[in-house]
Amino acid sequence: MRSVGTGFLVAATVAAAGFLLVPRLILGAPIEPVMGFVQKIFYFHVPCATMLFLSTFTCAGGSIAYLFKGSEAGDRVAVAAGELSVLFGICTLVTGPLWGRKAWGVWWQWDARLTSSLLLELMMIAYLLARRYAGPAGRKLAAALALFAAIDVPLVYKSVDIWRTVHPQTTVVPTLDPRMRPAFWSAFALITVVWSLLLGLRVRLERARAELAELRLDADEILEARL
Amino acid sequence: MKTIRSLARALSLVAWFAALFALSPGIALAQEFQKVEGALRPELPSVPFVAAAYGFIWIAILIYVLAVARGLSKVRQDLAELRRKIDGAGPRP
Repeated sequence: MRSVGTGFLVAATVAAAGFLLVPRLILGAPIEPVMGFVQKIFYFHVPCATMLFLSTFTCAGGSIAYLFKGSEAGDRVAVAAGELSVLFGICTLVTGPLWGRKAWGVWWQWDARLTSSLLLELMMIAYLLARRYAGPAGRKLAAALALFAAIDVPLVYKSVDIWRTVHPQTTVVPTLDPRMRPAFWSAFALITVVWSLLLGLRVRLERARAELAELRLDADEILEARL
Repeated sequence: MKTIRSLARALSLVAWFAALFALSPGIALAQEFQKVEGALRPELPSVPFVAAAYGFIWIAILIYVLAVARGLSKVRQDLAELRRKIDGAGPRP
């Protein structure tokens, strides 16, 4: 078993520093004149949604390596990223309605962005369920599902530009008030570091599980031979 | 192999249609916000919403970290126990 690496410790330190610094920057950023204080949800809602997309792409990349090259390491990354998609998807789908209730007056609207995001989240939940309950073929079935989920990501992103929605368009971040940018990009960096840490930790767990399963097989043979 | 090839063919077809759909200028209808029907009008305080959003994110991440750390510690214990069992079974005959 490998010990905790230097990179992991550095990332954990950066994340801890971020937890202290980022809320100060967010509180210090100017209040958006139309939506008011509730717009501060934006600083973490957007990075969480981006991590949902990144996790789904990572899961699909690992699934491709597993499906086409039989890579066990790829499969381990895929399952770790699959869980992170669900985690950050839930964060996105909870913080969005909290913002929407105050800004739009409703918790939920069946518009293109919200519905396609929910669909993506359901696909990633299906990925995890298929791995757990679909029997021996579950890993391959789940890997195929991850590829379909990755195809859904560009559609979720572009949905606000294609259809009429209540959700703001993709131009919000590029046209952000320069005084809000330090808060936004530091929150984005913090969430990215946290995502990397979680991915590393989860892959480590999956690697340990594989090692245990292998040792169990060897142990049966060794113990049988010695008795 | 045949299944993988048909899967790859189906995926490329879906990807092709998705790209076509997303990039087509003819369906770029959305240039204004959709009107929300039946919106609740009373003015709500913002702080509880912001606090709930931030609290939820950090609690969700914390729960996930604890679950993974617990799983990791359990697997490490099982590994150590199994190694002890193998070592305790004595030398090879």
